[in-house]
Amino acid sequence: MTDAVAEQDKRRTGSSPDSPAAPAPQGELLRSARFRVEREGHWRRLDELVVRAEKAGPASLSYDETRELATTYRQAMNSLSVARDISLDRALLDYLETLCARAYLVVYAPQESIGGLTGRLLSIGIPQAVRRSALPLLIGFLAMVLGAVAGYVLFTGDPGWFYTFVPPDLADMRTPEASVDYLRSTIYGNDFDAAETLAAFSSYLFSHNTRIAILIFSLGIFLALPSFALTFYNGLVLGAFFGMFAVKGLGYDVFAWLSIHGVTELAAICIACAGGARLGLAVLLPGQRTRRDALREQAHDAVKLVILAALMLVAAAFIEGFLRQLVQDPKMRLAIGWGIGALWLAWLLLAGRSDEKQANEARGGSAP
Amino acid sequence: MSRRVRDRKRLEGYLPPEGVPISFSIASIGARFGAQVLDIALTYGFIILLVYAMVTTGALPIEAMFALIMLCVFLIRVPYYILAELVWNGRTVGKRIVGIRVINAEGRRLTPHQIVARNLMKEVELFTPVTMVFTVDAMSGLGVLLTLVWVLAVLIVPLANRRRQRLGDMVAGTIVVDNPRNVLLPDLALSLPAQGSVPHVFDFLPAHLDIYGRFELQTLEKVLRDPVRGEEPPDFGQISRTIIRKIGYADPVRPGQERAFLNAFYRAQREHLETLRLFGNRREDKFHSAPGS
Repeated sequence: MTDAVAEQDKRRTGSSPDSPAAPAPQGELLRSARFRVEREGHWRRLDELVVRAEKAGPASLSYDETRELATTYRQAMNSLSVARDISLDRALLDYLETLCARAYLVVYAPQESIGGLTGRLLSIGIPQAVRRSALPLLIGFLAMVLGAVAGYVLFTGDPGWFYTFVPPDLADMRTPEASVDYLRSTIYGNDFDAAETLAAFSSYLFSHNTRIAILIFSLGIFLALPSFALTFYNGLVLGAFFGMFAVKGLGYDVFAWLSIHGVTELAAICIACAGGARLGLAVLLPGQRTRRDALREQAHDAVKLVILAALMLVAAAFIEGFLRQLVQDPKMRLAIGWGIGALWLAWLLLAGRSDEKQANEARGGSAP
Repeated sequence: MSRRVRDRKRLEGYLPPEGVPISFSIASIGARFGAQVLDIALTYGFIILLVYAMVTTGALPIEAMFALIMLCVFLIRVPYYILAELVWNGRTVGKRIVGIRVINAEGRRLTPHQIVARNLMKEVELFTPVTMVFTVDAMSGLGVLLTLVWVLAVLIVPLANRRRQRLGDMVAGTIVVDNPRNVLLPDLALSLPAQGSVPHVFDFLPAHLDIYGRFELQTLEKVLRDPVRGEEPPDFGQISRTIIRKIGYADPVRPGQERAFLNAFYRAQREHLETLRLFGNRREDKFHSAPGS
């Protein structure tokens, strides 16, 4: 590559004012112009390949073309390196800079395949992330439980608290003044008949709950306090709601009614809060790292937690939309709700164990 | 990682395994805002079209329609951005139109984790504050204050750091850069037509070429290229008179031959400076001979 550069130029400094419009003989070209003429074909070829790879992904290139991409990429990088030293042609430099930047992205930052990704996430990524997040999970569940206990205690002390905690559109007609019979009818009532209505209802709930979960998670970055507060508030609503039924002697029925979907749904909210707590803890207690590094590292597990929360919310929405109305027996409701809860737990505790050892060993080897 | 600023653009440098440093220019706040607005307009436009189509055709029962719309309204928020950036390797539709893309700040592959993380934060940085701004009428004084602080905090972050990262970018370790676009313009030393009526010989002495440096040469190159449409063609007479005066060129340049003179000067100057470069003398600009430089 550098022979053209190393070649000594014997001509004296001065212009060669022959008409530049006519193709000048090779010897009359500037060295940098000759450099360009010799290599332009390779660059154009690389340009073509890069454009195709950008449009349709590197998978659209054939075996030979991929090899060609690698070769022409190295040639272009080489040219760029040389051109920076020998050429003052701005057009050439700009072209090579951008071409090499684009080719670099195609060669070193290609797209991840989406297929294997999902499988890996479900079988290994999420369960391991959960097992690594004991403290944040404790914070998440603690927020919910404390909220529920506080809500219950406050409500039994003064039913007026109910109106403070529970937003009117959620409570609907279910207020402390409602009769026992009416409250019972909301638990066992079957006012949703058509399956289509159920689907609509469950998609609404899913969309609503997921948004809350995402909010709880992403607010965690503000030192985890908003996540904790929101989850605590959810707990307050739950406690007051439960208390309202409990004082009317419907405690067991409402527990079963809440269990069937609530085990999954409330756990999902707590897990989203745990994800937020991981972010908040990274900002609060970054340890030896800078806050930004800590945040980036913690975000890996935090994001997996929130994906898990979203999955659980999808499941919860289906259960809530269909099963809650279709299954009326409280025992069945309890069995289904806690049974599904046990399945979640089994998945999260047992999946991806064998890879974990290897991962830990690898990490132990590389980490300082 | 080298950090340079060139042409008022912020650059982020990488060193690939080939050992040749390359750089990307950080996308401007305006471009990112534009891409976001386009994305929002496109997604919500899609919902409106969908509703309109379903209402006019009446193909679906009302409950199914409601379910579908609820699902779509959910999907066009965070999931749309995640999917689009996964499928198009860091470019949503809006980003494609504006010509920017997301890359890994370390210069490696953009991982799905990063895409998910940066877009989840969008909920806190964009959707929730915007919703709150729209409902600001119904809020108490504290609520308004909270909204204001929130919006300000979210806006200040990308303005306050050099790489214009928003919170989501920091969490994910990504940056948004201009998608490089390349056009190979012709080499001026080859393609310049002789515009004088008679081919004229201009001779330059080494003393003539010792005045200017790289910056002046490349400025001249810019001027000599065909002007961008809509811009006024430069006044070659004025430019050549200035150059003649500065370099002390003695031979006469007849009116009408200024362009040919400039072409010849560009060529000679470039050859001179490139030769000097080969011997390690890099003249960045005309102040190269000033004391202390």
